[in-house]
Amino acid sequence: MSDSPNAGHRQEEECTSVALTHDILNPLSIMAEVKSPKAGAIVLFAGTTRDNFDGKPVTHLEYTSYPPRALQTMLSIARSVKEKHSLTAISMIHRLGVVPIGEESILIAVSAPHRQDAWRGGEEALEECKEKVEVWKLEEFDGDEGGVWRANRDGATGVRVADHKE
Amino acid sequence: MYYPKKRLMSGKPPSEHFRLLYFASAASFTRKSSDTFPAPLPISDLFSVLEKKYSGMTKAVLDSCAVTVNLEYVDVEEESGKEKAGVVIKEGDEVAIIPPVSSG
Repeated sequence: MSDSPNAGHRQEEECTSVALTHDILNPLSIMAEVKSPKAGAIVLFAGTTRDNFDGKPVTHLEYTSYPPRALQTMLSIARSVKEKHSLTAISMIHRLGVVPIGEESILIAVSAPHRQDAWRGGEEALEECKEKVEVWKLEEFDGDEGGVWRANRDGATGVRVADHKE
Repeated sequence: MYYPKKRLMSGKPPSEHFRLLYFASAASFTRKSSDTFPAPLPISDLFSVLEKKYSGMTKAVLDSCAVTVNLEYVDVEEESGKEKAGVVIKEGDEVAIIPPVSSG
């Protein structure tokens, strides 16, 4: 691999920014990225890691990615949502590696002249990310070996790592 | 850090080979993050080559996966249904098995 595992990745163009990082996410800095005197509304979504899946306690949670492909997908989502909802700016960042329970794994900030566009744009950006961005979540449970690769897609229950052991 | 748009993730494979990347359930199944295989290889043969090397992988993993070649998605099912040869993986290509995603 040409990049060290901890290298951050970012793509930017005018008023649009997407990134992957192993660092703790900072809601204030992503809000600052989209702030504009033209925008009367900023919507910030922060997705945090839950301590259970269907009531089963999650002890460890980790994200992996295919960074160049994931950034391409994030950028195309950002562009299309920005255009569709007439956003002033959009910025999305996903955290990789181990994310302690209760910390942010994804932040999406959008700004728009008026709040309706900002709400809708922010929601659509998140839903598109969850459906398409090439990032994978591994959840480990108490007393379970290996963990489960979660899938966001409807009906997909995730694949147990342990099932793959010979 | 600025990340150039079309830069691939992996280093160069040996000559007359391509590199195949595994993520998530595919990486767990193969217990590695990549392999190299001889090129050229029609994309429609990719899953059978993998099944041969990793018995049971089609049902456990590949059936729910997509495939990219040099970061672009290729429809393997459609390619396999074609009578004439479709997309062929070339020497030096970066191919990836993409399991169902779970970002957010």
